[in-house]
Amino acid sequence: MKRFDLIVIGTGLAGLTAARTAVEMGAKVLITGRGMGALTLFGNTIDLLGEIPPETEMAEGIPRWIAAHPEHPYARTGWEGIESALADFRGLFPPPYSFAAEGKRNSLLPTGAGTMRPTYLIPATMAAGAAMTPVGTLIVGLRGFKDFQGDTVSLHLKCRGVTLSLPRYGLEGLTALALARLMDEASFRERLGEAIRRQMAGERFIGLPAVLGLRNPAVVLKTLEEITGARVFEIPMLPPSIPGTRVFHRFREELIAKGTIFLMGHPVSGANVKDGRCEGITVENPPLAAEYRADRYILATGRFLGGGLWAEMERIVEPLFRIPVFQPGGRGMWFGERFFDPEAHPIHRAGIVTDADLRPVDETGRVVLENVRAAGSILAHHQATEEKSREGIDIATGFLAAKRALAS
Amino acid sequence: MDLRTEVLIIGGGATGAGIARDLALRGIPSLLVEKGDFTSGASGRNQGLLHSGARYAVNDPEAARECITENRILRRIAPHCIEPTDGLFVSLPEDGPEYRANFIRACEAVGIDTLPLSPREALSMEPRLNPKIIGAVQVPDGAIDPFTLVVENARDAESRGARFLIHTEVTGLIRDGLRIAGVRVCDRITGEEYAIAATWVINATGAWANRILGLAGLKIGLALSKGSMLITNTRLSERVLNRCHPPASGDIIVPNDTVSILGTTSLRAEDMEHNEVTPEEVTFLVVELSRMIPDLKGERFTRAYAGVRPLLQSEETCDDREISRSFALIDHGSCDGIAGLVTITGGKLMTYRLMAEKTVDFLCERMGLHVPCSTHVQRLPGAGQGHTLKDRLARLRRQIPAARGEILCDCELVPREAVDAILREGKVRELQDILHRTRLAKGTCQGGFCVYRLLGLLNELRKEEKSGGSNVVLRGFLEERWKGIRPVLWGTSLKEEELIESIYKGLFNLAPEEPGRPGEGEA
Amino acid sequence: MTKAEERPVLFPKLPDVCVRCATCMAACPVSRVTPRFPGPKQAGPGAQRFRSASEASVDDWIELCTSCHLCDMVCPAGVPISELNLMAKAKYLNERGRTFRDWLLVRSDLFGELAARFSKIVNPLMKNGAVRRLLDVLLRIDRRRDLPGYEYPTFRRWFRTRPVASGASGRRKVAYFYGCFTNTNETDVGKAAVEVLEAHGLTVVVPPQRCCGIPRLGVGDLRGAMEMGGRNIDLLRPTVREGIDIVFSSTSCGLMLRHEYSRLLGLPGAEELAGHLFDICEFLLHLREEEKSAVTFRPLSMKAAYFAPCHLRSLDIGLPALELLRLIPGLDVRLLEADCCGLGGLYGFKKEKFTIAEEIGKDLTEAVDRMKPEIILTDCEGCRMQIRHLTGLRVLHPLQLLRDALPQPIAHP
Repeated sequence: MKRFDLIVIGTGLAGLTAARTAVEMGAKVLITGRGMGALTLFGNTIDLLGEIPPETEMAEGIPRWIAAHPEHPYARTGWEGIESALADFRGLFPPPYSFAAEGKRNSLLPTGAGTMRPTYLIPATMAAGAAMTPVGTLIVGLRGFKDFQGDTVSLHLKCRGVTLSLPRYGLEGLTALALARLMDEASFRERLGEAIRRQMAGERFIGLPAVLGLRNPAVVLKTLEEITGARVFEIPMLPPSIPGTRVFHRFREELIAKGTIFLMGHPVSGANVKDGRCEGITVENPPLAAEYRADRYILATGRFLGGGLWAEMERIVEPLFRIPVFQPGGRGMWFGERFFDPEAHPIHRAGIVTDADLRPVDETGRVVLENVRAAGSILAHHQATEEKSREGIDIATGFLAAKRALAS
Repeated sequence: MDLRTEVLIIGGGATGAGIARDLALRGIPSLLVEKGDFTSGASGRNQGLLHSGARYAVNDPEAARECITENRILRRIAPHCIEPTDGLFVSLPEDGPEYRANFIRACEAVGIDTLPLSPREALSMEPRLNPKIIGAVQVPDGAIDPFTLVVENARDAESRGARFLIHTEVTGLIRDGLRIAGVRVCDRITGEEYAIAATWVINATGAWANRILGLAGLKIGLALSKGSMLITNTRLSERVLNRCHPPASGDIIVPNDTVSILGTTSLRAEDMEHNEVTPEEVTFLVVELSRMIPDLKGERFTRAYAGVRPLLQSEETCDDREISRSFALIDHGSCDGIAGLVTITGGKLMTYRLMAEKTVDFLCERMGLHVPCSTHVQRLPGAGQGHTLKDRLARLRRQIPAARGEILCDCELVPREAVDAILREGKVRELQDILHRTRLAKGTCQGGFCVYRLLGLLNELRKEEKSGGSNVVLRGFLEERWKGIRPVLWGTSLKEEELIESIYKGLFNLAPEEPGRPGEGEA
Repeated sequence: MTKAEERPVLFPKLPDVCVRCATCMAACPVSRVTPRFPGPKQAGPGAQRFRSASEASVDDWIELCTSCHLCDMVCPAGVPISELNLMAKAKYLNERGRTFRDWLLVRSDLFGELAARFSKIVNPLMKNGAVRRLLDVLLRIDRRRDLPGYEYPTFRRWFRTRPVASGASGRRKVAYFYGCFTNTNETDVGKAAVEVLEAHGLTVVVPPQRCCGIPRLGVGDLRGAMEMGGRNIDLLRPTVREGIDIVFSSTSCGLMLRHEYSRLLGLPGAEELAGHLFDICEFLLHLREEEKSAVTFRPLSMKAAYFAPCHLRSLDIGLPALELLRLIPGLDVRLLEADCCGLGGLYGFKKEKFTIAEEIGKDLTEAVDRMKPEIILTDCEGCRMQIRHLTGLRVLHPLQLLRDALPQPIAHP
């Protein structure tokens, strides 16, 4: 049976990055997972570290922050590692649909709740949102599309808002994907562009829900900007995330083109571990269980949502390899009393602790599995949601894990 | 703005609303004030069980008889608030066949229909039951929707002239010599303070009875008992499931629409409000009830909540018109020398109508009126409209494709028109009022998606402009929701929570307000 | 190995595990083209909380699910969404009753053999405008769809009557499950399969076999599917007991035989069968790796597009056909970026679903327009029909191109 150089478990951004990094290095890679990761849910832009103020350059802010947070996954990668990983990521998205960070700093982008949110790498279809001004912006909601509430956005951002009826559809409630695919159609987006233009009152910015095309977002953006004469940007909304789905599809396309075996939809039900080494994994597709073997493995299965961690009534486990999970005491200690706590709930710091090579270690610091590395949000000691660091951790540690795995 | 009425009722639970309705049907005007929304107290935090009375048959036949009588009345007058599920009293080996035999006899003695079932029959009716059961007995238990029941009572009363003021808190009792002549109130939304003059003041505040009585320097012997409940994501059984043993904690599972409610506990409570379900209570309920449904441990729980019951402490030294062993009407004129004030307390949701009847009988007698009660025969306004799970799914079908986009809550299939109807009535004053009146946010994700959409709707209708934006409300909602969710966060519920946090704290960047932080409205 | 009692951690109770994340909504091809189908989140785990075995079914939209399984594949929690949909569809149609059209269409094996025998009459009839209008009105089979032509002799007959190659007895045997469509409508696929297998040093046997039964699933006829499955298992068992592996060239047949017989229908003997079933390209790849097979393909210089059928993705074996095609020197073969062709087996033939199938397929048409291939390759007969219908281009099973690239292309008798 075929033996791979690397098996990546997990098809979220961390796993996809690890697989791609390895494939670029000429390795024979198999990637398997269930789901499309947080990418498809709330991934819209690439967060690096939202806590760094927009005035500070990341090259300066991050190393300082890392020094203050020696347990954080970024401490394993270092700023140089982050930079290389992000450069690789950007390379996958050549213009016109490219990701960029204005001035190598965080920018603030509007959200579907009408708040502003710091983020780093921004796709072309969202870039104008960083420059928008309340007075000069029109927020466009779409009737029947309930996952973006235009009035909520315009009310909080203190802009003008308008809700348009869609050409061809009424209140039927199109899904985000349906809308995005309609946008890919020239006639639809032209009519929508016209409808927007008729509603404008001299605004220079137009904000729309993040459905500006699945296959051709750059073309959609161009059309709308040409018709309206304004700068157009899309705004993140309730899941699923179309911008995140675009990223997923791009990775998958690239990986398959480069010869990766891409498996999806079935859980890795078992791992064959002997003497501290993983010898193979089993992917279960009832009634069969397929075995795959590699010299190296990367575990990028996410947190609870992804299934990388599972909370029993009293403790948290890592279900595949049974790697010890760093965690707060019993269930009573997992969450704070209030939902909105200045500190993140203690449970969010739980996860897998690793050595510098991203190999999981136990409480004593001993490496648990020689040829397995962990990447992404499954790692301990971060607060991706509060810090606004999710995608950065995924990309940086996915990249590092692949590099280190193939160096071994 | 001072008001005047004949009878002022304090408390918008089942008892208060029931009294208002009874009065209205007898042509007596009333005004009800409630500091929160309807069913803020025990009426809104119970297990939703329409007792057959069987639970009390062995130990308290009188209470049992009361229950079955009211059970039949409620089925007649409020069929749309009830799902006639029937109930099973299930015997595990340790419960013993003798208790079961005793139980059946006792039920029959008070007129509760019973149908003994073999284990095989019971298991085919309810496949999730413990295969080790030694038998079961079917009784006419049911599931009741207390909120609709109370709102229906209010609606009926209002159509006959009664008035209701929610979010209106009593801050003082107005004395006129040795008589209570009215109350002072504060509108909790606007802050406005004013007085309401009344000939009679009825204290139907349940666990808060002494809070009100304290305003006149009075007190009754009341103990507070906290009962916690867990809600499952899916409906575990068609029928109510009870243990056939002496009544204890953790022995009832009540189906409620798409979910089941597990209960309950009984702990001393110090506070009427701010009662949270403890991890120990959660573990207790899961362990105890898994005796009836063995795979309960793997079940997904979406929420936990606690209610406070007022327990009457029996020894009252004066002639206080104890109407039944389960509830009491206290005429403070006779007992304490302060006339015009009456407290109705004790009892349970099931007997609200009877409690109201006795209260209004008393008032009529004092007023010299001879109008009989008719609440046991007059049906509530919405009676005749069925509602089943299938109906809601069928409504979804009818809405597709024309208005599927108008479905706000995916988990419970609540359409926009339901919210529009509530808003049109013009009575709701805050988000929770809307949420009480629909099943929005009561499903699997507990409002994760739908509340964002609902608030969007309110923004569209410009309802949240004054408050500075709906995100304040959204944060309040998430904080309130947290209380119910935190006790059951493990397994799949924990995954759900990760999703919700990632959306609201991550994607939408909502946070507690901090000065200078990139927040709402700052571009 | 993970201990047995730890498995509950990985497979928590279904379908309660839905966290309403809506990832499935980003994958469903049906809800992306029509609001008449509420999407997997609603149709599957959402509506499931409202369904009751004792109450009549009200979900008539459930018929719009094509069972492409894309939702299952992207669900992070492992909700068996398409299975929930299928169960609901089965209940709904059991109560409402199935149409005569559906009764007819699921008996493709019976009518197929007959139609093949009389293909000289049947084929022109199926192209006749009046006949098509009649079928449209009476049976609601959409007139705009090209119906596949029948071929005679059938694949089975062709195989039975061909001369046995010399040296065949000493070689490893492999059994071929051809599937209805190959047998009566696209015999060249079967022929190519046999030729490619033989070129790899195998002796092909064709055991007695019946329709796999997947059309029955399409109309929620679980009992019918179980009957057909049971029969197939009995017919194939001797082959399996002899230790002979069985390969399939239709990915839908393969999904049915290898997974649904056991997982969905719980048929006895299904697991045993599953262990010996392989997608033909998957099998050939293994063979080439293990036995270092010496078959080198001839150069074929052309630009080809490969489309991965939905059911192939359910098999979750990667893209073995693509891997094999990449071994043909000079062939520029790339993956078509599209989710689903839209046909859904018999789905797209039905008048009430024709437009949905067309709309879904637009994604594919656009991908083809972007790539501008000379030829399109895909393992599923439904996809081939649909892609021909949508693009008018030449569409083949990868096996047919592999056969053309064999070192000594075998002339067709």
